[in-house]
Amino acid sequence: MILPVIILLIWEYYAVKFNNPALLPRVEMVFDRLIHPFDNLLNTGNFVRHIFVSATRVIFGFLLAAIVGIPLGLLAGRYLLFHRLFNPIIEILRPLCPIAWIPFALAIFKTYTVTNVFGVRYSTSIFEHIQLGMLFVIFYGGFFPIFINTIHGVSSVKNSYVESALVLGATHGQLFRKIILPSSLPAILTGLKVGLGVSWMVIIAAEMMPGSDAGIGYLIMFSYELAEMDILMASMIIIGVVGTILSGIVKVAADQTSFWQAKER
Amino acid sequence: MAFLNVDQINKHFINERKEEINALSDLTFLCHDGEFLCLLGPTGCGKTTILRIISGLEQPDNGQVLVNEQGVHGINQESTLVFQQYSLFPWRNVIDNIAFGLEMRNINRTKRYARAQEFIDLVGLRGFEKAFPYELSGGMQQRAAIARALAYDKRLILMDEPFGALDERTRHRLQEELLNIWRQQRKTIIFVTHNIDEAIFLADRILIMHDRPGYVENELKIVLPRPRDRKSPDFIKLHIGIREVLEDMLNSG
Repeated sequence: MILPVIILLIWEYYAVKFNNPALLPRVEMVFDRLIHPFDNLLNTGNFVRHIFVSATRVIFGFLLAAIVGIPLGLLAGRYLLFHRLFNPIIEILRPLCPIAWIPFALAIFKTYTVTNVFGVRYSTSIFEHIQLGMLFVIFYGGFFPIFINTIHGVSSVKNSYVESALVLGATHGQLFRKIILPSSLPAILTGLKVGLGVSWMVIIAAEMMPGSDAGIGYLIMFSYELAEMDILMASMIIIGVVGTILSGIVKVAADQTSFWQAKER
Repeated sequence: MAFLNVDQINKHFINERKEEINALSDLTFLCHDGEFLCLLGPTGCGKTTILRIISGLEQPDNGQVLVNEQGVHGINQESTLVFQQYSLFPWRNVIDNIAFGLEMRNINRTKRYARAQEFIDLVGLRGFEKAFPYELSGGMQQRAAIARALAYDKRLILMDEPFGALDERTRHRLQEELLNIWRQQRKTIIFVTHNIDEAIFLADRILIMHDRPGYVENELKIVLPRPRDRKSPDFIKLHIGIREVLEDMLNSG
């Protein structure tokens, strides 16, 4: 706890010295923003609403990445044919940072939202805030860690487990459900954890782009333009806290299913 | 009529240096119903390969394996295999490991737990039902592996040096327990080992294997009454005799 206190003290020292909230607000100003999460900010809604919008986008994009990434990873890890099929594309796409896709996604999907796709006309619906372009980049950011870790998990299943199952009468389907899947689960969960972290980073960047109208990234950009540095810094702290909570949730799930792996000889 | 018929099996491998290794050459032997057969030979003489072919995990280049005069295709449904070590599923506790074969036959949980419990008691693991493999000693893990094979309930149990990684005391105790189980459950066992003492202690019949290519060099019926005494003159005489056969084989080869 000593380091955060030192950082806060340095921050406070310079804030008092500059005496300019548009450059560096004082710690208590930012803190005051944080303990009033339901106050309307710059006519855009409160913190809770912005967090909710960002989190919903991330959760939808991330689930999409998991739904596509895990089965494809299982196939590519188990069958050489699929591995050969996917590998060249993956090797080219992988080093391409998801943030580099944001302008492309904006150009293609413009500001269409999930609501437009399904033709629903609720003005209050949360789906109104899930832009297809954002969904795409979150999906892209989450997909690779999930996909690659799943492949790794499946291809490192010990042959002795597979053969033991076979001589105990396991069929092909049972082999997949009872051996391959549980054995690669720790690696899959690692992929989910990393993927969720990447998704959360990407969404903040995506929300800073033009056409965005809500979300914690949008709030950062908007408060920057109005020189409301206390809101900006409070938003940054919130991003860190929410990110920690998200990875904490996956970590709990991971620890429960991979307890055996750490102790395996 | 023989229960198991291994008929003129050939198998070769290509090693990392692209050399052809002739692992098995016209390997032929019989195994009778209820027999305890030991395959004895130096490490790496293709004994494991024989078990893998009998169980159907590997296919021979030519020749065939017959069970009750029926050819084996794919995984041998009349047998199961106990590996040397680390074959328990680490994410499953003891009882779920032992009940695995029953679970594959879609037997419901209550029934398969009741059945698994019998074998847990039989191998002396009562009280460890909910323990995970990493919590067990090497000897206990092999007990669980044997119980898992028994619970699957096949006539033929193939064992690939199951006690090879254990200390001598544990190994001797498990050998005695295995003999008791074998008698009680009326199984046919093919037991691979490189340990002469182990083979004499356990077997009805020992097949001494030639090394590369693998074939049966010598066959030996062990008629000593059980329980066998390692210190008895007959036991020691057999031990010396087999050692000489093995040494001659290694020198000539």
